[in-house]
Amino acid sequence: MQRLSLLGTLAGASIRSELQYRANAFSSILGGILFQITGFIVVWIIVARFGQIGGWGLAELTFLYGMRLTSHGIFYACFSQMFEFDRVLITGEFDRYLVRPMPPLMQLFTRKLRINAFGDLIGGTALVFAASMAAPVDWSPLAVIYLILAIIGGGLVEGAVQTSLGSLSFRFLNTLPVRSTVNEVFNLYGNYPNTIFPGALRATLTFVLPIAFVAFFPASVLLNRTDELSIPAWLAMASPLIGVLLFVGAVRLFRLQSAQYQSSGN
Amino acid sequence: MTFAIHYASWIEFIRARIRVQYMYRFAVIMHFVLAAVTIYLLTLVWKSAYAGRTEVDGIPLQLMLVYLTIGNLQVRYLRPEIGYDIVERVREGKIGFDISRPLSYPSQLVATAAGDLIGMLPMVALAIPVAGFLGELAPPPNWQAGVGYIASFLIAWLIAVELAMIIGLVAFWTLEMTGFMMVYNLVGSFATGALVPLWFMPDLMRQFVQLLPFQSIVYVPVSIYIGLPATGSIGTALLLQVFWAVVLVFAIKLIWRRALDRTVIQGG
Repeated sequence: MQRLSLLGTLAGASIRSELQYRANAFSSILGGILFQITGFIVVWIIVARFGQIGGWGLAELTFLYGMRLTSHGIFYACFSQMFEFDRVLITGEFDRYLVRPMPPLMQLFTRKLRINAFGDLIGGTALVFAASMAAPVDWSPLAVIYLILAIIGGGLVEGAVQTSLGSLSFRFLNTLPVRSTVNEVFNLYGNYPNTIFPGALRATLTFVLPIAFVAFFPASVLLNRTDELSIPAWLAMASPLIGVLLFVGAVRLFRLQSAQYQSSGN
Repeated sequence: MTFAIHYASWIEFIRARIRVQYMYRFAVIMHFVLAAVTIYLLTLVWKSAYAGRTEVDGIPLQLMLVYLTIGNLQVRYLRPEIGYDIVERVREGKIGFDISRPLSYPSQLVATAAGDLIGMLPMVALAIPVAGFLGELAPPPNWQAGVGYIASFLIAWLIAVELAMIIGLVAFWTLEMTGFMMVYNLVGSFATGALVPLWFMPDLMRQFVQLLPFQSIVYVPVSIYIGLPATGSIGTALLLQVFWAVVLVFAIKLIWRRALDRTVIQGG
């Protein structure tokens, strides 16, 4: 409990420090929105001319894109510092984390806030709202709760993948180029229905690099399209839970790998 | 005499940059891995959109995939790296050294970009077969298209360099431009036609994109390559590119003169 309130204090401090530079914060958020909007425009143009991608219409694709983007925003707001991890190790900053009472991973996550995450959150939520009327979703209270849980779960899936890969830096020091590429793959492949991919890729994006669990599976559940999936419906429904499980596993892995830490010395 | 001196320094700049590209070869490889990943995704998405039809609006699927494959390799190859360099030099004050060299700073940048182009060539050679495997590659329909493409590619390179320079020179006023650069990369990558060719854009959007110089970086050369030149004929398509290349030279001259007047180096 005490740890949670400490987390709140740290998060508040990093938001305040970002807002000190208002112009920069504003342009970062705007940049964040534009960044993802370009990707969406591509989807929109294709659907405007061709009517569908993988049998999904504009409303459904927008819904999928919005869910994925919001999840990505949550991931970026909470875990963006994973992208700084290599530098934290190389500069020896990690030494400091080890002598403080809070878990090192939590100190890493609360190190700094990337304000452009709000661009993703705003853009993603707007797309979900815009699509929610037109998309064939039965909006019961349960569906709304599921949507929220699924979006958080999606953020956790991305967080789990980046944390797991990042923990390898304890051994190899420099894993950032690989992780950035994986992040880009999420940003590209996560926005389209998994069903347009050939079988081997579909399986890979489900069980090896669990991109489909971020938004595609939960979106299929809400859109009543689980019969098209190559996995059982209950597994798709369990997406939010899978996000939690993957993240817990990733934190464990990080702790295990941290035994390999060798300080760079100062 | 001055030409000989400048010629030698051009060569030195180009050489230095080839070495840099070789030093950072892992980053360059990752860059092209990303190109391959994008090409594969676009191939699958467009195949799905065509939904079994062999041709839409007179564009066969196969031609569409060749367009996307070459276009995305090209947009990665012509990335505006010098834009970032300018900002860094300005922020760190090293721009003072750059300006005091006998070779003008814009010339240094063009030489640097030429080094990038040559330095990345081995990686591009490796990336082409991979891209062809994941996407689709085919020779141009006739020799005119092939020759036209090579000419058009070189002008496209020049325009990409000029645009990167203009964006980079803005740092002389703002000192900070990550946001601006991001917008350039994204709006730019979209307006180049690398993700969606202009012929499939809605009318209003296409008319807007046609007014911008970005289409000359990807859409114009690749449309020449596949035998459907942007403006109807290879000659006029090349002319359009030359027009932009010249306009941008004047723009750079103007901006550069003002930027020099503004420069204050705070010690060093």
